[in-house]
Amino acid sequence: MHIPDFAIPIYQGVIYWAIALVFVFLAVRWAKNDMNEEKLPLVAVLAAAIFAIQSFNLPVSMGTSGHLVGGALAAIVLGSPFAAVFILTMVLIVQGVLFGDGGITTMGANIINMGVIGGFVGFYSYKGIKAATKSMPVSAFIAAWLACLIPALACAVEMFIAGTFPLMEGLVAMGIYHAIIGVIEGVITVAAIYLIMNVRPDLVDSGVKPLKKVSAV
Amino acid sequence: MIEELFQIERDAYRDSSVHRVDARVKIILCFAAIVALVAVPYSTMIYTVGAIFFIFFLAFWLATRLPFVAYLKRLAAIMPVWGIIIFFQIFLKNRYYSEYHSLVSLPFGIHIYTESIEFAFILCIKFMLTISFIILLSSTTKMQDLLDGASRIGLPEEFALALGMMIRYLFVFGYMFRKIQESLKTRCFNPFDSRLPYRYRLRQLGYTIGTMFIRSYEQGERVYISMLCRGHGTRSHLFLSKKPLRRGEWSLLIAGLVFIIVMPSCVWLMQFSLF
Repeated sequence: MHIPDFAIPIYQGVIYWAIALVFVFLAVRWAKNDMNEEKLPLVAVLAAAIFAIQSFNLPVSMGTSGHLVGGALAAIVLGSPFAAVFILTMVLIVQGVLFGDGGITTMGANIINMGVIGGFVGFYSYKGIKAATKSMPVSAFIAAWLACLIPALACAVEMFIAGTFPLMEGLVAMGIYHAIIGVIEGVITVAAIYLIMNVRPDLVDSGVKPLKKVSAV
Repeated sequence: MIEELFQIERDAYRDSSVHRVDARVKIILCFAAIVALVAVPYSTMIYTVGAIFFIFFLAFWLATRLPFVAYLKRLAAIMPVWGIIIFFQIFLKNRYYSEYHSLVSLPFGIHIYTESIEFAFILCIKFMLTISFIILLSSTTKMQDLLDGASRIGLPEEFALALGMMIRYLFVFGYMFRKIQESLKTRCFNPFDSRLPYRYRLRQLGYTIGTMFIRSYEQGERVYISMLCRGHGTRSHLFLSKKPLRRGEWSLLIAGLVFIIVMPSCVWLMQFSLF
């Protein structure tokens, strides 16, 4: 679902960049406060892993491209949607600058789709579904599926606003592709979280912050 | 893409006058060229601007002393994904044209429009040129230099640190991938072999991906622990020595930016004066 440089007019690219920068700023703040010595290698390896899984691209005729996203995986493992924004921004920088996958002027739109929407949808749907079902595999699978589908639909809407693809055809094509790809994304996300929880449970952030102060009674 | 990563780094380690230019100059010029190309409206004006920018790109590429085939190979690697998307434009109407003339009528009410072909061609030119500048930048600048250059321009320190590690991991991933692939080959394991049970194949692939992830992480963790032993930490500041641009680099930067801004503006103004 990378939007390339040619697909969006420059003024729209500027607007998406402005919105994305707000979230990137918050993600940098997350990194400053929460990315400690233990998390940094995990952030980097997750970024590299997401880069690897995103490299399997399929063209979508009425949209952009179809691939796994990884936003939910990053947000769940690191316990914050801003972690997904941070990681996906890094992935998009490397893809855009080294491989020409995505674009420079459209990077803002791509950060919004995969990092912001993917991360927030993945993280909060995981939390909500897990609270209801108490099952990690079910909640991670659904969260990853949604975090793959919804950014793809957002991408189709952005392409329509840009005037390069029709809305209904774009939504249908991107929706169908990513609904199928989302199943693979769900399986990979569950497998990765299961593996990390079993092999290195210390790496998974439960999202519970340690107490900073203990008041004396 | 992992194999392409190794090739890009091999190209970046060559030597030429373009390779030796400071990364900041190359980043600014390439990004400026991309912005200028994207800023050109979806009109036939892109033909002239595109031709001028291609000559500009070609001049740099020839100075890199990299084979032209290397550029074509990288373009061909990216082309299939975006090429199909551009191709489908010929069947679509969009808001950039008020009138559409059907060129070919196909079954199921599908039409190929003259204007849509023109639009697809415009997108194709924009795509090929923007990608060309990305290929130029990545083929002539080492990843670490790109990172240092971006940090000097103003990339936040948190990104620089994590990106530096991510780039290392990409290569670790690449080596792990090769090693695991070789070990699977020596055991004659083929995931597409239909004679093997489906669940067995899935389990093996699951183990492979999981092993790659964990081994890469642990390899990276060892590297990072050794960095910590030498006094590095998330709270430590990355030291980048001051590196002022040389006079030649300043000249190239200013001349390049003037060219990138002035040329499309001239074409745009000429279009109005002619019609």
